[in-house]
Amino acid sequence: MSRYEEPETREIPVPGLARRPDGRQGRPTGQPPRRTERREAAPPRRPAGPPRHHPRQEPRQSREEETRPIRVPPPEPPEDPPAAPPENPESPRSGGGRGRIVVRTVGELLITMGLVVLLFVVYELYVTNLMSAQLQREASADLDERWSQERELRAEPLEGEAFARIYIPSFGADWGFTIQEGTDGPTLEIGPGHYVDTAMPGEPGNFGVAGHRVGKGAPFNDLDLLNSCDAIVVETARSFFVYRVLPMKDEVANWAQRKASDPACANVAPLQDEQGAYDQTFGRVIVLPQRGDAVAPVPYQPSNVLPPASQASLMTLTTCHPQFSDRQRLIIHSVLTNEYQKQPGTGYDDLLREIGEA
Amino acid sequence: MYGWIWRHLPGPLAVRVALAALLVAGAVALLMFVVFPWAEPLLPFNDVAVNPS
Repeated sequence: MSRYEEPETREIPVPGLARRPDGRQGRPTGQPPRRTERREAAPPRRPAGPPRHHPRQEPRQSREEETRPIRVPPPEPPEDPPAAPPENPESPRSGGGRGRIVVRTVGELLITMGLVVLLFVVYELYVTNLMSAQLQREASADLDERWSQERELRAEPLEGEAFARIYIPSFGADWGFTIQEGTDGPTLEIGPGHYVDTAMPGEPGNFGVAGHRVGKGAPFNDLDLLNSCDAIVVETARSFFVYRVLPMKDEVANWAQRKASDPACANVAPLQDEQGAYDQTFGRVIVLPQRGDAVAPVPYQPSNVLPPASQASLMTLTTCHPQFSDRQRLIIHSVLTNEYQKQPGTGYDDLLREIGEA
Repeated sequence: MYGWIWRHLPGPLAVRVALAALLVAGAVALLMFVVFPWAEPLLPFNDVAVNPS
């Protein structure tokens, strides 16, 4: 072994040094697997070349044993040449290389943060809708089951539990959500939530409901599109209650001429009267978030301003305003115009025909 | 950063691509199901209720 290794290892570095640096100059380090493949592929060609120039005796000996020893030594000599030349060209780069790495990493982090923000928008506008749609389906099925079992006899619904449905025909016949008790985050994720301690559907006072406008199913996304006299239907275990949006502020003055002839406005009239209790109660109001009295029995008034017997039966919807912001709240006030007892075998579709919205 | 991760992924190109896709999917899932639900209440566009002061 030693006899043959000595001449062969001397011969190999010569062609190896001459050829390899030519092909590998300028290529960056850090890609060892490709080089090892090339090294393995290259040696068989080289011994095939040199033996032509050598005497015939050596090829026979070398061909038999070259295959083994040559493959072993090449990794040793080539490692020196590639390792050495890259250090020379890269050592001047390495000073700028660190700076480059830092700049590149910062850039990558910034791009990543931008992608995360974009992903959050996708989450907020689409993924939360999917999650809320599932919760809404479960709540709706649960409500149907309880109604069918006639167990809706307790006056106060449990926190977070659906107890009614809301429909707005002008948003489409298929627009409908369950109303849950409470207005905390997890409850509103299911659908619109009823302000605890406000009136129940159909009662005198103010039936207050909050709902999301962005994501989470966005039940109240189009609340700003409601016009006066648009119907808002609330379904409970026994009844359908039809509320209609109150006159807007600019419609109050000449309501009799403009809208009173509309059949949809049959039972709708401005609440403003000489008593002045409902002076601020219009169809659409935009208030600051602190105005908790928007869902007071008499909106924007102390709760004792009117005795319950003389309070109007209102329904108030609240959502965020402007869209994508929590700076203000969009408030829709509506007044109870009709109540329909639920008949067995009839549903919302029949009610739509009844009230002329189908 | 991404270059470093790519260099440290084992296996041939196909395996690396699969691993990279797995890593991306894991990061997205972590954001969607853990980070975003946690961060969302801290952000200002989901307050829809009026609060009695």
